[in-house]
Amino acid sequence: MTELVDFARAWTRAVVGTSYVPMARAEVENYLAGLADRLAAALVAEPFSAAAGYRVGADLAAAGFVAPEALGRTVTLVNQRLLADLGLAGPEPAQPDAGPGPRERLAALLEALVTGCARGIRDRTLDGQEAIRRAALAAREQAEQALRASEVRLRYLALFDQLTDLPNRTLFGERLGGLLADAPARARIGLCFLDLDGFTAVNDSLGHQLGDELLTAVAERLTGLADEGGYLAARLGGDEFALLVPGTSCTDDMVKVADRVLSTLAAPVRVGDHELPVSASAGIVERPVAGADAAELMRAADQALHWAKTDGKRRWRLFDPDRSARDVARFRLSAAMPAALDDDQFVLVYQPLVDLRDGRPRGQEALARWRHPRLGMLDPARFIDLAEDTGLIVKMGLRLMELACRQAAGWPDEPFVSVNLAVRQIRHPGLVADVSAVLDRTGLPAHRLQLEITESALAGRDTGTVETLTGLANLGVRLAIDDFGTGYANLTYLRDLPVHTLKLAGPFVHCLRTPNVSDAAGETILGALISLGHALGLTVTAEGVETRTQARRLAVFGCDLGQGWHFGRPALVPALTS
Amino acid sequence: MQPRPDWAPETIDVEQPSAARIYDYLLGGSHNFAADREFARQAIATMPDVPVQAHANRAFLRRAVQYLVDAGVRQFLDVGSGIPTLGNVHEVARQAAPDARVVYVDVDPVAVAHGRAILAGDGYATVIQEDLRHPQRILGHPDVKAVLDLGRPVAVLLVAILHVIPDDDEPYRTVATLRDAIAPGSFLAVAHGTDESRPDEARELQRLSRRTTTPLILRDRAAVARFFTGWDLVEPGLVWAPQWHPDSPDDVGEHPELSGNLVGVGRKR
Repeated sequence: MTELVDFARAWTRAVVGTSYVPMARAEVENYLAGLADRLAAALVAEPFSAAAGYRVGADLAAAGFVAPEALGRTVTLVNQRLLADLGLAGPEPAQPDAGPGPRERLAALLEALVTGCARGIRDRTLDGQEAIRRAALAAREQAEQALRASEVRLRYLALFDQLTDLPNRTLFGERLGGLLADAPARARIGLCFLDLDGFTAVNDSLGHQLGDELLTAVAERLTGLADEGGYLAARLGGDEFALLVPGTSCTDDMVKVADRVLSTLAAPVRVGDHELPVSASAGIVERPVAGADAAELMRAADQALHWAKTDGKRRWRLFDPDRSARDVARFRLSAAMPAALDDDQFVLVYQPLVDLRDGRPRGQEALARWRHPRLGMLDPARFIDLAEDTGLIVKMGLRLMELACRQAAGWPDEPFVSVNLAVRQIRHPGLVADVSAVLDRTGLPAHRLQLEITESALAGRDTGTVETLTGLANLGVRLAIDDFGTGYANLTYLRDLPVHTLKLAGPFVHCLRTPNVSDAAGETILGALISLGHALGLTVTAEGVETRTQARRLAVFGCDLGQGWHFGRPALVPALTS
Repeated sequence: MQPRPDWAPETIDVEQPSAARIYDYLLGGSHNFAADREFARQAIATMPDVPVQAHANRAFLRRAVQYLVDAGVRQFLDVGSGIPTLGNVHEVARQAAPDARVVYVDVDPVAVAHGRAILAGDGYATVIQEDLRHPQRILGHPDVKAVLDLGRPVAVLLVAILHVIPDDDEPYRTVATLRDAIAPGSFLAVAHGTDESRPDEARELQRLSRRTTTPLILRDRAAVARFFTGWDLVEPGLVWAPQWHPDSPDDVGEHPELSGNLVGVGRKR
């Protein structure tokens, strides 16, 4: 209908710009021309129906002409121009029977068009609002999911080990606490703490990457074992792992678990190009749930693990309350030692070293005692190792050496005093100067001081040790090898070091115990040792002399000095005469 | 505004006006909330032809996409796409090229959720939530890689987005990053708000925009032209939005500068 081209162009001009419509102007014109054609057809259709107007209005809205101005201008334009452009604007024919005329039809079509367009706009608005609300809900849902996911992730980070994916110490403790709280009162529970032996060496020599792979492999084995038995495996940190074993029936169950764990881990692990041998130590604890405390159980397993390590690794140790109590006591003792030293609680007792030819004391060995305010007089066995461990031995040893020298300086007949040196003291670089200063302060002549060192102090002797001992000898101090023949088996040191005396340990003398039964081999060794000492120009002292017979026989063997209960027990006041 | 750390989940606050939904309202759409409409009404009170500017930008986008399809481009990266309702890039492009692929990018989670609803099941068009200030994340996004082949020409559409990126966020470097990541023969389409035609009103609008999550940063012609460093501007160069390849001379009108937006399309050297 060519007559409507101008109409469509005018319509386009009227509505373009009122609403955003994603069409080029020519497309808009084309589209509106189509709508105009449909209106024109409806005007003359028989029978007449206004529904076409409704659909045109709806399509106008659907195309995006949703601005109120677009509808208003459309109504005006259709009203003003459509009938004229179609040549239907003439006077109404007066035919009452012919049905509605063009003007009536146009009015009906326009009403329907407005209705259709307005409803279309309304529906679009409602749809748009619903869509954006759904989008907001979806976005909010997603944000909440992200929040939950981040919470899950944070929880995971807090409770799981990132390397092995195993629960960490915190989660292990939580689960243990939960089990203890929920389990029936008569139930039992077991813990196994594990530590790889020599893992640091793997990390140091092969790098952390391979170390991590080894840990992952270990974690896998433990997980397999845990899944099978219904245990909980965890990585407590570093190379330390743990198994939580609920529902044990007795301690032996836990021992079996530990055996299995250690044998499972014993197979070498293939990491990269390396076949790494693995061994582990384990600490186990097993007990009734009733009265158990999570932290205490974990401490117990940890302590048992520590025992397994100190007892030589590659083994398990069962938590033992008595041993634990001893450990605790040792720890307390160790902690109390520095203050005790300052408080002069460490004192010396003396045991005579007697000349086997005439029975007269030639010297006194100074022995340390701890006069503990609560525990009474403590033997060195109770505290010397602890002092070695903490390093306090250096300070304590020097203090006691000075005490011995001061006391000995006042003794009549000038006997020598023999003082023990701990390994750490010998390794201490200032020892020679310290001893020299002690001699100066106390006025004791150097030849009256004998220092006893154990063979183990000479094991793997380094130039530092040799220098120290030479320095001491140069001061004029006598050096004695304590417990000779029981420790370090390489005797070449006798040639290299400035030693003056050999002290033969008690076991060598014990072969002389029974007068009627002869121990030929024992006596031969004893005799040979004494000869060896003399051949090297050394004095030989026998320890552990308990009987008169032993003293006499030693004298026959030519042994120089004797020490032991037979000659006198250690005493605060030295027995200076026979 | 304190930037949200990457790990912190965002909150969806429909009480906060959003550029995407304001723009939708200005285009006559209904994908908006009361806060958006309230803001738009204030903006219109400040500058009555703000809706006209929105129309002009949107119409430029449509014409630019048609132009690019005619130039052989089949891949589009529409960053700052807003609510993809009226005149979607993928719909416009596919009228001429049914195989056109489109990735929409917007920072507004609601706009993105709406886009997902519309594009559900469309393997050639997708929408991702990302910020233009992180071009590497956009380029590296798995959905971008899945839909677009960056080895072949891509049209990067930055329509009404660069003027919400302050200089501190290095918009020039961002555009250069995108440019360097895509194949020669790719295109860049930009529409950028400017205060050159009506500085006073523009300033007032700028002030008003500080209430949104994306305050306006209006730039002058030279600053807008700098975005095309490394691109050859196609005819007619950098012009007011209605002047760029109008459908008919009637569409340009007597005052194209009232569109407030300079637009241009460049081809990567």
